[in-house]
Amino acid sequence: MPDLISTSKLSKSFGGLVAVNRVDFQVPEGQVAGVIGPNGSGKTTLFNLLSGYFRPTAGSVRFLGKEVTDQPPYARVGMGMARTFQLVSVFNSLSVWENLVLSSFHRRQQGSRLGSFFFKPAREASTLADCRQALETVRLQDKAGVFTSELSYGDKRMLEIAIALSLQPKLLLLDEPLAGLSDHEIGEVLQLLHEVKDNFTLVIIEHKISKITDLVQRLSVMNEGSLICEGEPGAVLCDPNVRECYWGRETDAC
Amino acid sequence: MHNIAVHQQSFPVQPAQRFLVFRDMAIIAAAFLALSLFTPLYWLTDFAVMCILVLSFDLLYGYMGHLSFGHMLYFGAGAYMASLALLHLAPNPFLAILAGLVCGAALSAVVGFVVVRTSGAAFALVNLAFNQIGYWLALSGLQDYTHGEDGLPSSVEALWFLDFRQAPVAFGFMLVCLLLVFWLLKTLTASPYGIVVRSIKENEDRVKFLGYNTFRYKWLTFVISSTLAAFAGSLYALVKGFVAPSDVNPLENTRIIFSVLIGGAGNLYGALVGSVAFEMISNLLATTIARWEMILGLMLLALVFWFRRGITGYAYQLYLDRSYERLVKFAQGMGLSLRRQK
Repeated sequence: MPDLISTSKLSKSFGGLVAVNRVDFQVPEGQVAGVIGPNGSGKTTLFNLLSGYFRPTAGSVRFLGKEVTDQPPYARVGMGMARTFQLVSVFNSLSVWENLVLSSFHRRQQGSRLGSFFFKPAREASTLADCRQALETVRLQDKAGVFTSELSYGDKRMLEIAIALSLQPKLLLLDEPLAGLSDHEIGEVLQLLHEVKDNFTLVIIEHKISKITDLVQRLSVMNEGSLICEGEPGAVLCDPNVRECYWGRETDAC
Repeated sequence: MHNIAVHQQSFPVQPAQRFLVFRDMAIIAAAFLALSLFTPLYWLTDFAVMCILVLSFDLLYGYMGHLSFGHMLYFGAGAYMASLALLHLAPNPFLAILAGLVCGAALSAVVGFVVVRTSGAAFALVNLAFNQIGYWLALSGLQDYTHGEDGLPSSVEALWFLDFRQAPVAFGFMLVCLLLVFWLLKTLTASPYGIVVRSIKENEDRVKFLGYNTFRYKWLTFVISSTLAAFAGSLYALVKGFVAPSDVNPLENTRIIFSVLIGGAGNLYGALVGSVAFEMISNLLATTIARWEMILGLMLLALVFWFRRGITGYAYQLYLDRSYERLVKFAQGMGLSLRRQK
């Protein structure tokens, strides 16, 4: 399988702090890859570099065989990349269904449909059908008319994932999708990810390693900005370096 | 994956009814006609022009969250260009309006390319700076064309029945223009484009990650808003037959901002109610109290402390609370207890 996304000697510094240090990271098409590492190890910065939120200090990013290092985020989304954020990021001042209008319109608007973009109501049958379909995948269709600010944190997380899914991406980057959720909600998110993971390539940052070991086929571990270990989840979690940086020296052997 | 019951449930959001905008336009027209029973027509003509200006500002500030202290630049540019067209090209009102629109669009397209790169306080102040430059140009820089402090008189020839010297004709024409602008903005803000604009207000970066070039949309919104301000300016020039540097004065921006705040930002009705209320208050107070601006200051304080969302926002909240109370009473009558859902 060719690499869907790959980086070469990717680095990002903030002043004197090197957040990501010469990282070579590849994800083959169709794979579910996990990125783990202690707090401040550069996982989210890596995501921000992959998705175009930051420009790297050095190195390059290739997506779908093309160099995208200098491409802005919206261009990468146009190529088929979608992401979620560590702190759930939905539009609180819009109602739930309105949150899905832009992503579903972006997907449909491949032709020149400027007239309907500017002059047709967003609340129109075909757009609403798209929003409904997207909401049904996360079982939020009953709350479509509610203001997003009234949703619980877990529902907002589900909505954010629904927005990303409705872009029908080739690559989905999930930044700590389980953070701040109850056990029940974690179960729901994981079930959803198991259902949809075959439709695209998935990269997932997560702290709750035990929850995602079933999901991911490959695990990458970051520490202090560098990629220190990569491979099958079982093997990676037994690696002495990984165990030391993650759980400290005093841990039982694998 | 889903059971059939889910699909059978009705979706809580139904398609928009497109005739509603025409109902609202009828209400606006009726309100203006009702006002004309006890308000001089030339006041209402001014109000309609002001309403267009404030509506255009509401798109930029209320919907996109970009507060500008330089909106008068485009109003003034439209007014001056319309007057110049009347003087030098032909005394035709439609040509003057076209000239004003083109001038506003061209000017804001260039200026927008710079100002849209900023946001927050910087956006407000960069716009103020451009407005100040425009004021200086009108006052002395382009004196040969604008006649500086003397101002620029112009006259429109009567076209068929369209004679702006007759108050009812001028009023009717401005009212029709206002309704057109309302229709345009109502349509735009209800479209997916409107959702882009409102989303930019809340979190611009997030919109980029949905695949939208936000710079392009901010620029476009700035140009639409400014061009409509220039439209208001050219209408103003037609009615008054005179333009002076005070019509580009950056201080006049406070009138626009005040009107939006009084009415409630981010919904077009607020802009309408606010500008009519503001113009009424300033017209009435100015004739009775020497330092009437002081009252405005007190009103601004009241707005900031108690009525953040303006008249329309407050009325809507009142409506929500009342209808909720009624619902609770009704439910209690039926032997149910209702709690507000989280």
